[in-house]
Amino acid sequence: MITVNLEPDGEQIEMHNTRSVIAVLNTLKLRSTMVIVVRDGELLTADRMLKNGDTLMVRKVTSAG
Amino acid sequence: MKCIRCKKTACVALPSHHSGFCKDCFPLFFTKQVETAIRREKMFTHDERILVALSGGKDSLALMLELKLQGYDVTGLHIDLGIPKSSEKARKKVEDFCSLHDLNLRVFEMEKWGLPIPDIKQYVKRPVCSVCGKMKRHHFNRIAVEEGFDVLATGHNLDDEVARLFANTLRWDTAYLSDQGPVLPASDGFVRKVKPLFRLSEFETANYAFLKGIEIHSDPCPYASGASFTNHKEMWGELEYRSPGQKFQFYQSFLKKGKPAFANLEKEVGVELHPCEECGSPTSAGVCSVCRIRAAVQASKVEAGVA
Repeated sequence: MITVNLEPDGEQIEMHNTRSVIAVLNTLKLRSTMVIVVRDGELLTADRMLKNGDTLMVRKVTSAG
Repeated sequence: MKCIRCKKTACVALPSHHSGFCKDCFPLFFTKQVETAIRREKMFTHDERILVALSGGKDSLALMLELKLQGYDVTGLHIDLGIPKSSEKARKKVEDFCSLHDLNLRVFEMEKWGLPIPDIKQYVKRPVCSVCGKMKRHHFNRIAVEEGFDVLATGHNLDDEVARLFANTLRWDTAYLSDQGPVLPASDGFVRKVKPLFRLSEFETANYAFLKGIEIHSDPCPYASGASFTNHKEMWGELEYRSPGQKFQFYQSFLKKGKPAFANLEKEVGVELHPCEECGSPTSAGVCSVCRIRAAVQASKVEAGVA
């Protein structure tokens, strides 16, 4: 299972059978050039693989006023 | 993906540059883009005093830090808008950031000036975002002029510029299309205004802010729901994803081909500016719109028995 903390929404989502960052973003209908993805304090590109138990922070970059 | 410079694992992928960078090399790319913007557009020199508008968001704080690291003489200016539960958080981020990096900071409080933004929302029958923007531009310019700064720098990035250009184009607003750009020269009581991040996308400034450990104020303004610029940015984000490089090309082509034509047109129909009779800021009317709004709010409050 992968846990995703979505910012700035403050939402937490759990995903199963998800193996890569791009798969997470596709599930969330987010574009890789419009969010930053962080695991354990490290930025990840969309092609990085994930493992069971990973926790991601996905932060939308568009300022909302 | 590997870093294009050192071949370590990349942490930032940039399809528009056909490249990716690791955590050590991405800030070098960022620095180079800012240096190029400043040099090519002749924004300012190391001898000039720069006032940087600080909102507490990723772009303004990233700009402030980057300019300091490049050795420029920078002072931050934060406008406390007086919005409950929002302004104090933004101000704290700015104050903590400036304290951490030993940066000069000026704070201007709208409430002490007699016109917090909630009063504008309550008493002015116009979209609060446009009036708030007008107020901020007024005070940024006024303080820059009064305190002898050579230039005012803002953290507007490529996405901001493209969203604004797109909105201006939708309306074919010739006045705005004639002077939109990364540099607005000083004239008629206006200080020179520059946007050193115009070559960098919001995604790039977000990555830079994260890698530099900048704590940002990311809560949206409680009054800004449904702002059209946000919708335009989302739309352009999708276009950029499908065709990397479109945003920069659209903006650069406008600067080269579109802006000169609109500037010529505006020379023929442009309005003359004079100092405001109340505050001395440049205006095309006798009293500037900021002073008129302030007087109108005071009058409404007196009428309502709250002032």
